[in-house]
Amino acid sequence: MGTVELDGVGKSFGEVEVLRDIRLDIAEGEFCVLVGPSGCGKSTLLRLIAGLEEVSAGRIRIAGRDVTALESYDRGLSMVFQSYALYPHMSVRENIAFALETARLPRAEVARKVAEAARMLRLEPLLDRRPSDLSGGQRQRVAIGRSIVREPAAFLFDEPLSNLDASLRAETRIELAALHRKLGTTMIYVTHDQVEAMTLADRIVVLNAGRIEQVGPPADLYERPATEFVATFLGAPSMNLVRGAAAEAEGAETLGIRPEHLRADPSGPWTGTVAHVEYLGVDTIGYVDVGEIGRLALRLPGRAPMVPGETLTLGYDPGTLHRFRAGLRIG
Amino acid sequence: MKLHSVLRWAVFAVAAFVMNFPILATLVTALKPPGEVTRNPSLWIESPTLENFAIVLTVSDRLNIYAYLFNSLTAALIGAILPILLCFPVAWALARRGTGRAVLFPLVVNLRALPLIIFAIPLYIMYATLGLLDTRVGLGLILAVVNLPLAFLLIVNAIQAIPLELEEAARMDGARLPRILRRVVLPLCRPAFLTTFIFGFITAWNEFLFGLMLTTQKAVPVTVGASFFFATSGGGVQWGVAAAVMIVAALPPLVLGVVMYRRIGGSMLGGAVKG
Amino acid sequence: MPRHTRRETAVLAAPLVLFLLAILGFPVILSVVYGLSETTFQTLRSPSFTGLDNFSRVIADDRFWQAAWFSLRFGVITAVLQCALGLFLAVYLAPLIARHGWTVAVLIMPMVVAPAMMGLMYRLSLHEFAGPIPHYMWQWFGWSPAFLNARNVFATVVVAETLQWTPFAFLLLLAAYQTLPRDVAEAARVDGTRPWRLFWKIELPLLMPTLWIALFIRFIDGFRVFDNIYTLVGSGPGGITTSMSIYIYEAFLRQGDIGRALAAAILLFGAAFTLLSLAQRLGRRRRAA
Ligand SMILES: Nc1ncnc2c1ncn2[C@@H]1O[C@H](COP(=O)(O)OP(=O)(O)OP(=O)(O)O)[C@@H](O)[C@H]1O
Ligand SMILES: [Mg+2]
Repeated sequence: MGTVELDGVGKSFGEVEVLRDIRLDIAEGEFCVLVGPSGCGKSTLLRLIAGLEEVSAGRIRIAGRDVTALESYDRGLSMVFQSYALYPHMSVRENIAFALETARLPRAEVARKVAEAARMLRLEPLLDRRPSDLSGGQRQRVAIGRSIVREPAAFLFDEPLSNLDASLRAETRIELAALHRKLGTTMIYVTHDQVEAMTLADRIVVLNAGRIEQVGPPADLYERPATEFVATFLGAPSMNLVRGAAAEAEGAETLGIRPEHLRADPSGPWTGTVAHVEYLGVDTIGYVDVGEIGRLALRLPGRAPMVPGETLTLGYDPGTLHRFRAGLRIG
Repeated sequence: MKLHSVLRWAVFAVAAFVMNFPILATLVTALKPPGEVTRNPSLWIESPTLENFAIVLTVSDRLNIYAYLFNSLTAALIGAILPILLCFPVAWALARRGTGRAVLFPLVVNLRALPLIIFAIPLYIMYATLGLLDTRVGLGLILAVVNLPLAFLLIVNAIQAIPLELEEAARMDGARLPRILRRVVLPLCRPAFLTTFIFGFITAWNEFLFGLMLTTQKAVPVTVGASFFFATSGGGVQWGVAAAVMIVAALPPLVLGVVMYRRIGGSMLGGAVKG
Repeated sequence: MPRHTRRETAVLAAPLVLFLLAILGFPVILSVVYGLSETTFQTLRSPSFTGLDNFSRVIADDRFWQAAWFSLRFGVITAVLQCALGLFLAVYLAPLIARHGWTVAVLIMPMVVAPAMMGLMYRLSLHEFAGPIPHYMWQWFGWSPAFLNARNVFATVVVAETLQWTPFAFLLLLAAYQTLPRDVAEAARVDGTRPWRLFWKIELPLLMPTLWIALFIRFIDGFRVFDNIYTLVGSGPGGITTSMSIYIYEAFLRQGDIGRALAAAILLFGAAFTLLSLAQRLGRRRRAA
């Protein structure tokens, strides 16, 4: 029942076309993550699904029902906003109960559902507080609580963790994954954060300039990116791209190789000077300037003995190469 | 540094004394017994008394201050509350959908700048036809017009300051417009309503021209009533009683203004800058 | 906009629009009808059409032009005085106010008193037998001017209006002054700028927009003055304090010349409207620049 189908959806603001011909079927219970550079239209797409904006083209179906012409209040979805958008004049309890009261549920039922959500999200001690008296993480949980009580066909999240600090973000990410396992409801999730995308998603949708670049499970996207854009967008530091003679030698216009697939190898083809080293604890990132080819990043496990100014020869296993022509993957 | 601080207090004291002098003089006069006023017009009271206030607050055939006060109160309440009721829905439509940006908004806001006398005469004729002359409701209605511009401005500003996401969240929660307005927008506008009400009440209470022209007996507001008191006594004005009437008439807005002065300053800027 | 949204918007706008139509739209029509007719209170329901006769009578009336000149002068002078005083008080007292907020409440008291009451209070304060001001003049200087005679009355009403409404300019400018970006002043001070120079070169330019608004509002209110002049001196000795509003009021209620009063009101409306459009165009250009 919680499927979301986008059929040729497009959106223009006046002259500016922000989204073009988006086709996407999201399965019941799927955790679908939208990623892409800033301004590519992620939020807009989410708002189209939510019914907060009207589509300029195409149809949207939710649970098999065409909702294109419906207002958001008739679509049976719920949304967690980046700013949380908690009602500042209502207590936590009233915030969570608002949707249920709007639906005119009997009082006992409202109380029961609010209590259940509060228990699940550990909000019980906070129920009578105002949002202004809560910490960022608590507000975030209230926002989630407010959306789960409606038992929506699908959840929409617009960068819900971006206002939290790093450790809280990691914690909440895990809770979200657990919540999804427990509820089994379809989730559509917009984020900037690659780690969130990789860890949470059943499927990732990479958007670029209003179009879908690639859709697939995280591993597929990482291991077999369909375009140069996807290849460089996922992964940090991003994939090294090599053009020119070295690429032609491997039968490609552009050659891609991930930093972790480069290694120090005296018999390797590329020799250069180490320009900069970043030691991150688990691993060490080195940036090596290799003449014509340009700067390559490599990732070595643990604390690798690399120093700026040192000459280094790099090699790789041919099986780890990605080959692109005209921006698209070949082979 | 120290000298400047003393100088500032001095400037404050002089400004406060000079600007408030008539109020002070009136208060002093009101506290003097009848014989003393013309014999000793100074600010020093030889034998302070509340006699004048006692006379004012006792109903007599010359003066029923309660009737005046009641007229002022009723008309000022209508004049302060009605604009809020009228402006709230359309202010939302303006802030969120741009309704009336071209004509209605400038029209209403510019009312502030028009001499009130322009409305008074045609209204007199209209009220005469409708039987609204000398009624509290009639007076309240036109006071509402006087307060419309500021009410509209302040409420539009308040709605624009509410994050749009709150309304979107309510829509996602299944609420339609009436419920969004009642449960989300309206509660968040309460501070603006209070400010609007205070301004409106003070303005309406203090209004004189319409009271003078549109009322004669039954609905006379206290500002006009107090001036009758000056005129009717002819040559021999009873200064003490007249002063006491004025103090009583001026007290409600004075108290409101002094208690709420913080609110008045900030929102005056908001009201003026956008307008 | 979808149809149901349009309907919603119409419902939202309806209360205000209907109210305005009822209470202003109808009178506008009445104004035009009666402005073009001869009417007295006895013939209120049967105006007889006389074309532009009322207008030519108004334009030919010297007292109308005197009233216009009075209002204009009064508006400009009081607005300038109030804004100058208000600016001085706001800027000079700001440090005091920052620590003792209640001082503001004392300074704004005059503006929350009804202007009509204030006129009466001045009448009392200036009264030659009961008023403290003449009393002290005599006591200290052995002499007191006749505040309300033909020579002095203009100055008297100007001072009365100024003292009552300086708080308005003060409050507006104070609010603006308090929201000036602190870092600008601090940067200037660190750069060695003296207070006086800081005011002229940095704070005053930043306050200019608010100052223009204050001047404009005060001018408008001075121009349309009625209450305090009316209760203090009426139209004054020989009618020299007849403002536009008082002129129209007297034509209407004293002389019962409804047609002439309305014609004058329509002319006044035209003038105010022109002025307003002009001011707004200027304001827009200033903001755009
Ligand atoms: N209401 C609007 N009117 C006009 N243009 C808009 C509107 N909303 C969004 N846009 C434009 O549409 C484009 C996509 O915006 P959107 O907010 O969807 O991007 P995003 O992918 O969510 O970006 P971010 O990662 O920064 O949140 C942007 O260029 C933006 O300027
Ligand atoms: Mg976004």
